[in-house]
Amino acid sequence: MSNSSILVIGGGFSGITAALEAAEVGHEVFIVEQEPYLGGRVAQLKHYFPKLCPPTCGLEINFQRIKKNPRVKQFTMAQVTRVSGEPGNYEVKIKIRPRFVNSNCTACDKCVEVCPVERDSEFDFHMGKTKAIYCPHFMSFPMRYVIDEQVCEGTACAKCVEACQYQAIDLEEKEREFTLNVGSIIVATGWKPYDVSKLTNLGGGQIPNVLTNMQLERLAAPNGPTDGKIQRPSDGKEPKRIAFVQCAGSRDQNHLDYCSYICCMASLKHCTYIREQYPDAEVVIYYIDLRAPGRYENFLNKIQEDEKVLMVKGKVARITEDSTSGDLVVTAEDIMGGVKKEETFDMVVLATVMQPSISMNGFALDLPRDESGFIIGGEEKGIFPAGCAKMPLDVMTSAETATGAALNAIQTVRR
Amino acid sequence: MSTRIEPNVQFIREMQAAGGESLKKCYQCATCSVICPLSPEETPFPRKEMIWAQWGMKDKLVNDIDIWLCHNCGECSDYCPRGAKPSDLLAALRNMAYKSMARPAILGKWMSSINYLPILFVIPAILFLIVWAASTGLTIPDGEIVFSKVFPTLAAIDPIFILVTIFVIFTFIYSVGRMLASFKEAGFVPSEDSPGFLRSLGAVIKDQILTHVKFKDCETNQERYLGHLLIFYGFVGLFIVTAFVATAYWADKFGIIDFATPMAMWNPVKILANVAGIALIVGLVYVTRMRINADPKKTVNSYYDWYLIGVIWAVVITGFLAQIFRLADAAALAYIVYYLHLVTVFMLFAYLPWSKLAHLVYRTVALAYARQIGRKALHD
Repeated sequence: MSNSSILVIGGGFSGITAALEAAEVGHEVFIVEQEPYLGGRVAQLKHYFPKLCPPTCGLEINFQRIKKNPRVKQFTMAQVTRVSGEPGNYEVKIKIRPRFVNSNCTACDKCVEVCPVERDSEFDFHMGKTKAIYCPHFMSFPMRYVIDEQVCEGTACAKCVEACQYQAIDLEEKEREFTLNVGSIIVATGWKPYDVSKLTNLGGGQIPNVLTNMQLERLAAPNGPTDGKIQRPSDGKEPKRIAFVQCAGSRDQNHLDYCSYICCMASLKHCTYIREQYPDAEVVIYYIDLRAPGRYENFLNKIQEDEKVLMVKGKVARITEDSTSGDLVVTAEDIMGGVKKEETFDMVVLATVMQPSISMNGFALDLPRDESGFIIGGEEKGIFPAGCAKMPLDVMTSAETATGAALNAIQTVRR
Repeated sequence: MSTRIEPNVQFIREMQAAGGESLKKCYQCATCSVICPLSPEETPFPRKEMIWAQWGMKDKLVNDIDIWLCHNCGECSDYCPRGAKPSDLLAALRNMAYKSMARPAILGKWMSSINYLPILFVIPAILFLIVWAASTGLTIPDGEIVFSKVFPTLAAIDPIFILVTIFVIFTFIYSVGRMLASFKEAGFVPSEDSPGFLRSLGAVIKDQILTHVKFKDCETNQERYLGHLLIFYGFVGLFIVTAFVATAYWADKFGIIDFATPMAMWNPVKILANVAGIALIVGLVYVTRMRINADPKKTVNSYYDWYLIGVIWAVVITGFLAQIFRLADAAALAYIVYYLHLVTVFMLFAYLPWSKLAHLVYRTVALAYARQIGRKALHD
């Protein structure tokens, strides 16, 4: 008799979708998420396709569905360390890192007020700071603070423990491990941005005013480090001229060989962020080919109507910084015009690539992967990839693949 | 405006065979044009050459001056996201120019493939065997080793190489004329206030060739810069030595001075010869190592590269060995190796207009012309 429970690795949009689809037809589902919150990359965005909703919209509904459904159990700060067994009968070892904050937490923020230690916010891609104890983000689910054990001074300090009226903080919490029995597994481990410091000719990670597209999302998001104001990291100046560099690290055998599917659309979306705040700002999008999949072409057409958004065919291959002004000199060949030009911008956004989150080795499941690391099999084992663990996708298509994976998982455990 | 493109498919195949095998991988992102430190602002290269090549636009490519502005540092291929190797395409186009610009065309064909190498070797091999047969009846002469006993300067070596020189010069006069006409056809015409050709030529030699500054601009390839610099100055040194010896020989013949070869080892001219020879060897080691270690994903070496490197190696090795055997008094070895030295020197110089070494003339002329028409790198 096979176990009818389903494990979902990854609690981003795909993982949540897959979990809910399976739970709402009666299966017990476990979500294992390594971050302290569910929602994944979508939670970091200002708006997401197709309808340019803020993440509060789609995620909030899904969090409600999780809360109302006793069959969904989620573990944050958790990792799958070992999987054994066969389709219909898997034994899964889960390791949970200490959060140091229990469910008594009311998010009153008193602990943050007294915490003496600051850290770079990974959620904000190092553009903002949090204390060592912090709220993952303003719509975190679970809404519970967390302590970064890398920087916390521990029991030697313990100011937060004193400040907390709810006995929510336990600085001596230890890592723990437990076992789950499931019949099928959905892998929704998602993506991470490519390491831009490898893009040396574009000043990736070196020049302050050269941002990644995900950094721009955080700058533009109302809960971001600048409260939603798009400004230059080096001096806080309002950008008047902004360049987008498409295919920054993608479709490139020296970096990642594949097209990352949604970066063209992301840059077009970013034009709307910029236009909203700066009606006169000039934008130049440097591209090899603009790829607007399916109905997204309508969105491309809309942005093309903006007279101050110029689209130049020709990839940027060099960015240098004027160290006194912080301005950026971008070199590209305008292919249609046949001219190699240097142009000056206040800010440059690299449309960087999605890369599979799980590294080639060191993932508990041994699944067939393509040369880029995307999962391309596992069905025969009753293991199904969903979302960007499979290929670079937008949110909508990720959700579709998640539903598909849930169906496959259900068929596996009901056999 | 619409342009009717008539792809010359045969020409595409020829480019692929001459070293541009990856040209079809290009997807026109123009990274190469930006990365190239030598590429000009207006109609930069090599992105446009890549699409001309893919579309088989022979007329555009055979008249293109930009293939000579490229110094083949390979930075474009390093950064190329598709492995299309633009630097190899430009090298292939230059190889095709070596093959087709000069007449007789049959030599271009012989120089384009290793299959014909035996012919190229046999011609001087027989020629100098005839000289040897006529002088000493193919025997090793007794007494002090003096190469002119077997290969008499006045009767054989000078006439042969003077004829070779005249042949090469006339070949180049013809092919350079064709090349300049092709640039004009492509629409590159000097304006009225441009400097004259000879002035541009002088400036190019002084500012670019002697300093190798354009090689230095390609920062990532210092091995190539050093290698080429040493080989270049090695040849300059050996040219001075040869010119001196020839002049002194004739001055001696007319009784102006007293001169005889071999010169003593401490003679400054002999020292220059040996220093130049060593510079050549070191330079050759650099470029040979660079070619052997080249990442096949970034560049593929062509037969033109190996012919030139191989022949220069052969000239230098036989030259040094001849000297060593002569000093060691190993007569048979010394004469035989010197014979091979003459054969390889002939292979280097008589076929020069069809070899990669022809860039010495074509590139210099093209650079001078580019200067005249004001075609220069974005940052020059």
